[in-house]
Amino acid sequence: MPLSWALLASLLLAVAGYLIGRSRAFAVAGSDIRSLHSRPIYHGASVALMTLTPAIIVMIAASLLRMAKALSPEAVGLVGLLALAAGIAGLGWGITRIGAGYQARNVVERIVMGVLIFCSSIAILTTAGIVLSLIFETGHFFQKYNWLDFFLGTEWTPRFQGNSALGILPLLWGTLYISLIALLVAVPIGMFAAIYMSEYASKRVRGIAKPAIEVLAGIPTIVYGLFALITVGPMLRDYFAQPLGLGNSGSSVLTAGLVMGIMLIPFVSSLSDDIINAVPQSMRDGALGLGSTPSETIRQVVLPAALPGVVGAVLLAASRAIGETMIVVLGAGAAAKLGLNPFEAMTTITVKIVSQLTGDNDFAAPETLVAFALGLTLFVITLGLNIVALYIVRKYREQYE
Amino acid sequence: MYDINRAESAVTQQDIKISARNVQVYYGDTHAIKDVNVEILDKTVTAFIGPSGCGKSTFLRCINRMNDTIDIARIEGQIRLDGEDIYDRRVDPVQLRAKVGMVFQKPNPFPKSIYDNVAYGPRIHGLARNKTELDEIVEKSLRGSALWNEVKDRLDEPGTGLSGGQQQRLCIARAVATAPEVLLMDEPCSALDPIATGQVEELIDQLRSEYSVVIVTHSMQQAARVSQKTAFFHLGNLVEYGETDDIFTKPQDSRTEAYISGRIG
Repeated sequence: MPLSWALLASLLLAVAGYLIGRSRAFAVAGSDIRSLHSRPIYHGASVALMTLTPAIIVMIAASLLRMAKALSPEAVGLVGLLALAAGIAGLGWGITRIGAGYQARNVVERIVMGVLIFCSSIAILTTAGIVLSLIFETGHFFQKYNWLDFFLGTEWTPRFQGNSALGILPLLWGTLYISLIALLVAVPIGMFAAIYMSEYASKRVRGIAKPAIEVLAGIPTIVYGLFALITVGPMLRDYFAQPLGLGNSGSSVLTAGLVMGIMLIPFVSSLSDDIINAVPQSMRDGALGLGSTPSETIRQVVLPAALPGVVGAVLLAASRAIGETMIVVLGAGAAAKLGLNPFEAMTTITVKIVSQLTGDNDFAAPETLVAFALGLTLFVITLGLNIVALYIVRKYREQYE
Repeated sequence: MYDINRAESAVTQQDIKISARNVQVYYGDTHAIKDVNVEILDKTVTAFIGPSGCGKSTFLRCINRMNDTIDIARIEGQIRLDGEDIYDRRVDPVQLRAKVGMVFQKPNPFPKSIYDNVAYGPRIHGLARNKTELDEIVEKSLRGSALWNEVKDRLDEPGTGLSGGQQQRLCIARAVATAPEVLLMDEPCSALDPIATGQVEELIDQLRSEYSVVIVTHSMQQAARVSQKTAFFHLGNLVEYGETDDIFTKPQDSRTEAYISGRIG
């Protein structure tokens, strides 16, 4: 019996269990419904859950065993039957439990809690799974490539025939350089927009301007990339790079950084707006009551009070900038280079992950496996940034609640 | 009208600091303050009492134009500070607020050190020419608000770390440091325990020697203890204004009598 049929059958059994449980409970109660500990619908629900839970547990266990290759694919039919049997057993046991003193309501409550815990653990386990799979492949890579050469190498020249130089430093440098420019654009503009929005704008202006800024957040990053490619890149090249004699490349660090900064503006501004609004009005009243102007109030009272939260917002924005791919591909090009000139093409870790995995390369070659090592490095960087950001944001929240 | 005439006759010995004529306040369509006329004396504690929502805080916030920060508030009539109309076009509300300080219901120290809290006003208004002068102002203000001995060894610690009563006295010190002429207090003791309340009340009595103090309070006992003049507000009207002793012992208006005997409010 295929699993889908077994699942459907268990669902039907559960519905039947619900109806049986409820009518049994009514029968047990007789004329006085108050003699029951729990209302009949809880008895029904407990029977239904007791039918469904064992069946699903059997199915999940079987899937896990099969993933671990401890169970042959031919055994699927058997698993279906086993799941159904577990369901029927649960149904029978559930029905026999029904009685005036049976605390069906509390049983349902416990099962519901179990389901909720299960769902939260899926989210956590997925993260662990992603990390484990990355670590696994990274291990393969480091068996074939010296880790010192990877972390300290300043050359990135992958070759199909092998013997490549796979140093992360040019990519890391490109990533940080582009992210830095993006933050230099996004943080001041986003912050000032947020300050205007929360402190100066009238309700009507705010009602129009805030959604208008947030439209920016809804634009797919590939569209930003196109903007970088056809507008910003050529403009920077024609009006800045060439007249200044700094190169004539259409794609450059500055292009990608600027456009990525624009992408991050709504992110920074809406987070900062929330944080600035969370500063109690009494602080502003206090400062205004002492005769400060609005900008003095913001500079000396509101911003210091909001600072930890704003720092958290900036770090979250930074981790988004570091993980961004499409804008870099179209804006900054694909040349791995260690350089200071912002009008030169450079590239980032994410771009190289894509290009190393989308070739015709042998999957076991270090040129392909390096993508996982890059991915793991990136993950560790953004995870670190996120942890620091969340820590700061939480510390800030405790201050006023 | 009788009460107001009588109040005016008593006023002549002391200078009138603030005089309000036909003040109306609207919040959107709500008529919050109706035709208030009052004269507040220099070097006197004036208490505004009345049930919740009677407009006493609203009127208090008119005196330093804090209602300007509320978009929907609209004020009519005249309020004169030393004879000058504070709602005149040429008056800068920021400068006015430096002259008319305010202490709020909830202690609201800035997230700065105790020293920086008190030094805030003098710094933005440039009242001290150097660090020594600033130190003097801070010490004098903290002494004035009876907080100096408790905090003199920890001026660098954050003001938010003090107890509620200390925070409120810090806020009073902060307001005093700006050297205002009038000090407005919006229920300054409502978040404090009885001991801290006692300290703040004692402080208010001392402040009277230098400032004109206006205090909004829910507690009639507090009004009786700290004030020399009392104004009773009800539903946006100034019902009665006069010597505190007279208001509490022989009120002229039946509404005042009902309020102080606990029948309304």
